Amino acid sequence: MTRVLPGALAALLLATVFVPLGLLLARSGGSGDWLEAWRSPESRHALAGTLLTSGGASAIALALGVPFAWLIARTDVAARGALRTVVTLPSAIPPYLWTMGWIALANPRSGWLTLVVGRERLDVYGTAGIAFVLGTSALPLVVLATAAALERIDPGLEEAARLSGAGAFTTFRDVTLPLIAPATLSGGALVFVFASASFGVPYLLGVPANPPAPTLTTRIYAEVLMGEAGLARAASLSVQLLLVAVGVLAVNAFLSRAGRVRLSRGKGGSARVTALGPWRWPLSSLAWATAVAVIVLPLLAIFLTGLMPTWGQWGRLTLEHWSLVLQPRTLAAAGASALLGALAALLVGALGLAVAITRRRWLETLADAPSALPGTVLALALLVAFSRDVRFIAFERVTFVLALGNTLWLVLLSYVVKHLALGVRAASDALAQADLSLAEAARLSGAGRLRAFVDGVLPQLHGALVGAALLTFLTCVSELTMSVLLVPTGGDVLGTLLFELQSYADPASAAVIASALLLVVLSALVVQNVVARRAEARG
Amino acid sequence: MTAVELLEIEKAFGPTAVVKKLSLSVREGELVALLGPSGCGKTTTLRMIAGLERPDRGRVLLSGQLVDDGATFVAPERRGLGMVFQSYAIWPHKTVFENVAYPLRLKRPTDVAGAVKQALGWVRLEAFGERRPHQLSGGQLQRVALARALVGAPKVLLLDEPLSNLDVALREELRGEIASLRAKLGTTMILVTHDQAEALALADRVAVMNRGVIEQLAPPDVVYREPATPFVAGFVGGANVLDGEVRDASFVSHGVTFPLPAGTAAQAGPGTLVVRAEDVHLGDGGPALPLEARLFMGSATEFRLALGASVLRATGPAALEARPGQAVTVRFGRAQLFSRRGT
Repeated sequence: MTRVLPGALAALLLATVFVPLGLLLARSGGSGDWLEAWRSPESRHALAGTLLTSGGASAIALALGVPFAWLIARTDVAARGALRTVVTLPSAIPPYLWTMGWIALANPRSGWLTLVVGRERLDVYGTAGIAFVLGTSALPLVVLATAAALERIDPGLEEAARLSGAGAFTTFRDVTLPLIAPATLSGGALVFVFASASFGVPYLLGVPANPPAPTLTTRIYAEVLMGEAGLARAASLSVQLLLVAVGVLAVNAFLSRAGRVRLSRGKGGSARVTALGPWRWPLSSLAWATAVAVIVLPLLAIFLTGLMPTWGQWGRLTLEHWSLVLQPRTLAAAGASALLGALAALLVGALGLAVAITRRRWLETLADAPSALPGTVLALALLVAFSRDVRFIAFERVTFVLALGNTLWLVLLSYVVKHLALGVRAASDALAQADLSLAEAARLSGAGRLRAFVDGVLPQLHGALVGAALLTFLTCVSELTMSVLLVPTGGDVLGTLLFELQSYADPASAAVIASALLLVVLSALVVQNVVARRAEARG
Repeated sequence: MTAVELLEIEKAFGPTAVVKKLSLSVREGELVALLGPSGCGKTTTLRMIAGLERPDRGRVLLSGQLVDDGATFVAPERRGLGMVFQSYAIWPHKTVFENVAYPLRLKRPTDVAGAVKQALGWVRLEAFGERRPHQLSGGQLQRVALARALVGAPKVLLLDEPLSNLDVALREELRGEIASLRAKLGTTMILVTHDQAEALALADRVAVMNRGVIEQLAPPDVVYREPATPFVAGFVGGANVLDGEVRDASFVSHGVTFPLPAGTAAQAGPGTLVVRAEDVHLGDGGPALPLEARLFMGSATEFRLALGASVLRATGPAALEARPGQAVTVRFGRAQLFSRRGT
């Protein structure tokens, strides 16, 4: 069993990720064709769009995230815990939902904020808008990385600077900032990768913009819609997207190594809280005003759009649109999403555990890798590989036909592969921290290997695995980037339904479904919080 | 002249009082050790001198100048102090040279390089200027910390458990270096430690702290020979602290009657008898106690004798013929009695 398992898992990953990726590269033609395709103006335009929006998103996330992280980790800012919850909220909510909120707030004709500042003065469509929405929805990546680094710094390092004659600001500039820089920049690099792989935001904000603001992902989608001829061009563009992701992730790997060196000494965990003194109320007000503006406001806008189709008509709040939730098409999409999400969560947990217990580093790396692939690239690879039936012939007689093309199974496969890293990392970290002597004790008490694992180790991994599964479920239920390429024609999942309603038909109905989705996500977060707090109280 | 003066300072964290009405004055050029178990308030006291912690009440003066009385507060960077931390606190993103140069850079004096070179010379690290902190050992890091704290010629050097992260050999080496540096530079120092050997070896005066108060402030030999309280006796030198009762020039503890050595000030009634292990003579008459174990400690052997439910420790010659289980007679050569009236 222990000898077969790593091989079987590796074969599974090769067949579902790496072979399809190879086929995609082959499909994009020889290197000559790549250069040809990359030189075309459309392609260069799309690449520039991706780099510009992703760079902008990183800059915005860093500019907002570092001050937030400092306030949350190190100061007595008002309602600190609540502020942390609010600014880390975006990680649980799919980015295209923020987009819907911002379209309601800042579209150039009738956006609610636009009407306040004057028509046409505010325009969320275009490169700047894409960067802004992506940057704010990726805020937690910077905030969490920076706050964790701030909390881990040995307080003595900063106190030594004070005793050396440096004031509070000089200490921050000369000691704190250089120490957190690798972690913070690594968070910024992840924002870049996240933004470059994003599809919903640049599609909803870039395509209708004047002039249009294409990115690689939206360009690939457009090419795929053109059919067979577009597929080769899409494949060639996806190579660019892949290279962007790989390049930035390499920088990120370097940064996190540097960060470990800088933060490794000292006991940590005892970072001291700075009293803001007379600055407390001004800074708290500013922080809360910003958090409300970039996080609470767009969510509120979604809820209100669902209740009040025309802005300002407070007397005409209506639940009329909510009846839409009960339409058969919506229910079918919600059912499909829930089922896919639940299956994906289950498989991510089980496969993650399987990979982790082999204790093979190379296998963990192999299983981790797909999470770094832009969703568009992964989906396109699966599309290329499985659009035709795959036949396996065993013993020259029995033939298995794998007909995944154009089915929800392919969607499920993409969800599982993309999020497998969540399960692997959770199980692997929990396993590293688990007290294995419990299993040894069980074996000495007479339990067999399997029994010892189930009784001694599994209970210690339970919490981490449930957390990973829940996160997988929440992400998959609202997944858009891969679904939009893989969901069979005529079928819907929540993401694609929302996407279609928002971009072509009926923003108010989209807002209703989005509100329902938000309620589900928010209540899941509350449940998760309560469970975590109870576990903490028990432990 | 007084370098540091603490006047009735108090500090509580939440409901727990950590430092209670503590007063202390440190003369210029003196080395005072704050010695006590963890949680006794010694580090908090040091941090209040540094300005890293604010006292709830009381006053802190440096060279006669008020630096903290609740209303007035001089920030740590303006107090002209140096500090060495238990965790070394060497900035990992700067070289050794840059670490030591930092306090000078902030002051903008003329010859940074020369001063840094001199300070690195004090701690015998001249050749290590371009090294990165992660390339150094713990002992080297702590020497860098010493150089950095001393380079700006501080009025007072604060040492917060500077040796406790090091192994035994390094600790002794660095202890010697601190003593030589002090002889060379004459800097006033305050040393926080839980290691009595460190405090006794380095300090001019030792302040033994317990639960937020100084139980005794005296030169090391006085603290060692004449502990002011049973706690000091127990903590410094690890004396036997026996609870019992004085009856007819004898001390009764756990049902065993020990004759009091001649010259022990005794008053009938309940009391606490403090006897150092080296003052417990074995096989020389007196009550017999069963030997529980003998521990060979190198220069001496420790004998553990059962006294009721507790243990009486004695050091004696390794040659003493006694096996665990055998009874050994016990006589106290020297002892100190603390009467417990009203308890």
